[in-house]
Amino acid sequence: MTKIELTSHTFIKSALKNRYPQLVVLVVMLAGYIFAMMAGLIGTPVGSHNFSIVFVWIAWWAILILFAVPFFGRGWCAVCPIPLPGEWLQRGAILNPPNKKPKWSNLRWPKFLRNIWLQNISFLLLALFSSVLLTTPNVTGIILAAMLFTAIALSMVFERRSFCRYLCPVGGFVGLYSQTAPIELRVKDKQACITCDGKPCYNGSANGYGCPWDVFPGGLTRNTYCGLCTECLRTCPNDNIAINLRSFASDLEKPSARLDEAFKAFIMLGSAMIYAAVLLGPWGALKDAAYHVGTSAWLIYAAVFLGIVFILLPSLFALCAFRLENFNSFKKRFTTLSTALIPLGLMFWVAFSLSFVFTNASYILVSLFDPLGLGWNLFGTVNIVWQPILTPILAPAQTLVLVGGLIWSARTALKASNEAKTSSIPVIIYCFVVTLIMLWLLL
Amino acid sequence: MKRSELLSRLLMMAGILLAIGVPLFFWMRTPLIHARVAENGGWSPNVIQAEAGKPLHLQLTSDDVTHGFAVGQMDMQSVDVMPGKVTDVTLTFDKPGTYTFYCTRWCGVNHWRMRGTIEVSGSSLDTEPAAVPLYVSLGLNVDAPHDAPIVPKEIPSAIRGEQLATDLSIAQFVNPDFYRANSPYQTFQDLSSTGLGDSEIWDAVSYIWQSNTTAGSLVNGQKLFAQNCAACHGENGAGDGVFADKLPIKVDSMMQKPANLTDPVRMLGASPAMLQGKILRGGMGTGMPSWGSIFTEHQIWDLIAYIYSFQFQYH
Amino acid sequence: MGPRVSLLLLIMAGLVVAFAPLPVRSIPPQTRTFKLDARQFAYSPSELTVNQGDNVTIQLVSTDVVHGLYIDGYNVSVQADPGQTATLTFIADKPGSFRFRCNITCGAMHPFMIGKLTVGENDWLYRSIGLSVVALAGVFLLTKQQAQIHYDKD
Repeated sequence: MTKIELTSHTFIKSALKNRYPQLVVLVVMLAGYIFAMMAGLIGTPVGSHNFSIVFVWIAWWAILILFAVPFFGRGWCAVCPIPLPGEWLQRGAILNPPNKKPKWSNLRWPKFLRNIWLQNISFLLLALFSSVLLTTPNVTGIILAAMLFTAIALSMVFERRSFCRYLCPVGGFVGLYSQTAPIELRVKDKQACITCDGKPCYNGSANGYGCPWDVFPGGLTRNTYCGLCTECLRTCPNDNIAINLRSFASDLEKPSARLDEAFKAFIMLGSAMIYAAVLLGPWGALKDAAYHVGTSAWLIYAAVFLGIVFILLPSLFALCAFRLENFNSFKKRFTTLSTALIPLGLMFWVAFSLSFVFTNASYILVSLFDPLGLGWNLFGTVNIVWQPILTPILAPAQTLVLVGGLIWSARTALKASNEAKTSSIPVIIYCFVVTLIMLWLLL
Repeated sequence: MKRSELLSRLLMMAGILLAIGVPLFFWMRTPLIHARVAENGGWSPNVIQAEAGKPLHLQLTSDDVTHGFAVGQMDMQSVDVMPGKVTDVTLTFDKPGTYTFYCTRWCGVNHWRMRGTIEVSGSSLDTEPAAVPLYVSLGLNVDAPHDAPIVPKEIPSAIRGEQLATDLSIAQFVNPDFYRANSPYQTFQDLSSTGLGDSEIWDAVSYIWQSNTTAGSLVNGQKLFAQNCAACHGENGAGDGVFADKLPIKVDSMMQKPANLTDPVRMLGASPAMLQGKILRGGMGTGMPSWGSIFTEHQIWDLIAYIYSFQFQYH
Repeated sequence: MGPRVSLLLLIMAGLVVAFAPLPVRSIPPQTRTFKLDARQFAYSPSELTVNQGDNVTIQLVSTDVVHGLYIDGYNVSVQADPGQTATLTFIADKPGSFRFRCNITCGAMHPFMIGKLTVGENDWLYRSIGLSVVALAGVFLLTKQQAQIHYDKD
């Protein structure tokens, strides 16, 4: 499919370049985020009736993993409120153009941390006590506050959106999976960038700020690190930035060869299967171990969790990339072939989330109209009884999603193996086996 | 600064202040009574002030599991206190005093400890001293053993007893004063002079026991038993309830199990007043709660009548 | 055989795997009774198996707090206080795998208090596995055919 340039439509381009629509959305998001934080900290301790749990782990998660990521890539990052207070303090303004001198220390992020390993670790830290996080409003409130204040603190020390790019646990997998999305931001003509003086898209100008994501838009070839904040649309003097509609997973045609991203794929694949087993399975002992953080049972659970994502899954995959005669390019084969796990992992998370969301969606209306558990009844829906929705289509939907994911990852494996000059069969068998495991866990 | 910047800063501050202020404001203004399992503190607050004659409006919520609320000694219809939801209750007290409120849905082995008090103030023109329970006025030692030396070989039948009773003069046994002060075994002894065989006398005793209560009392007693006693004493009274193995351990580390209310040796030797004493006071070095501030007298006699029905076959 | 024909055949194979009626072993329906202990946050036993058509009775015994039992797909439920066993009776007329879960908030991990009821065979799982195999066969076949077309074009 050829690309369709969405920004060629004047209405879309001016709507995106104008700061006011974006500002309104961001204010609403920030207010909602802070409200969720407050609800978590002072509202009812009962998760299913607290706005923070229901709107973060059911509503927002459903929108993120079922719509935002598959269809808009890093679209959530475009409206996420977490970097905003820090960024406004960093810039010394909300709408005003940049000052010549930065207000704070504006340090460059350390070179050895310019990767997503910190995001791999931050995601796993949350995952290891997710049973507590998903069910306890206080903990969700504290984590929301911690992310917000960490982002502010980092903005005071480092340049640009360092929290978003290098630390955010959500950004790690949203970035990886955004490569599958049918939307992208790219330059129209690379020549124009070569002759452009000053590169205001990266360094800022009177019209706007340099890329907060520390990306040079002229060099963007994949979605992974572009947060769709639209600053570069405003600063480019040559009208060279476009947002395009394209076929799904175009970025995977040119697979990346980074080890941190490969391990992100294993972490996401493994945690989807572990979540399915622990949260949706009938094994009470697993749930006890996962919930009672700090006990020896939990330590064993954590060790097994980390063992699966860091040792078991990658080493089995390494067998697929292993070839005696060409050992030197083993790392390149390993990382290139691991891109097949990107669409697979995304579909695993979609399938898992469908069950979780359909079962608990009825809580959304209840907590919308009594968010703090104080006895409100804002629209008369507070007495809705819990009832799962769409149960008859759940199993077929999960099958479609998982089989679709298998097809998609097999095709990606075929393309990646061409690139890596090796056979795709072992990788496809690997994808097949983990798909069977996921089918068994969910159905 | 530019006007657009000023406006956007104002908009931002307004949004943030509202997002923080609105929840805080309503949270501070809503006086909720939180129900938590006893291990997590029970009722919070657990002392409520009220005035005699003035309606007391309470807002109750549970912070963990299903709880319930009722005020003792008032024969009040209990309300459920559900997790995350708020239940409104309005109470009016005629007389000043200290009332006990308690949880009415089992929420763990320490459920019965979930109690609080309502201090009702007011001028008390007619204060009546509390009535002395029967076991006190009879001088019964509630902790002393009360085994029946002779027990029936099979469950006595009140139907057979009714037929036998036509030949006996049992009117003296069918009145509260006799019934409450005497055990089935004592009644058995009182009837031994009639010359009937042991099992026939037991049948007569079971008919006497049935005559001292009503069908309505038995139904009420069964309901009270199911809601309050079965969790420890077992749904059929055999001392094998779901919490039987989880009660606190005694000092010399012998596990205290709830009494087996189907044991004829133990039950036939106990008078209703004795049972009333045990229920009112509890303790006895076991995990038995004290129900004195919870049940009305009427409720306790109904409950006791039901407990005897484990021993006899009523119709 | 061109890729379009192959695709059509594959889709038809997929539909057969997904929807073709499987031979049903007609086992005479029985009456079964299960005693299920419920605690925070698991059932014991947590996996039940019955035959299609069985008359199933579940006695729910809550052993710590008030718990419920709701069966996905059958939409039947019951709730039990400790000390008051509750009984749920239904006819297991729908085959397949159904999760049952607690339907009255019983603590933090309540949304994950889950068990599994299998009525007859978990046919849908077998069909899904079959579909995965058809899907992979399809990927290989179509890729080879498209490569062949490219090759022939050059």
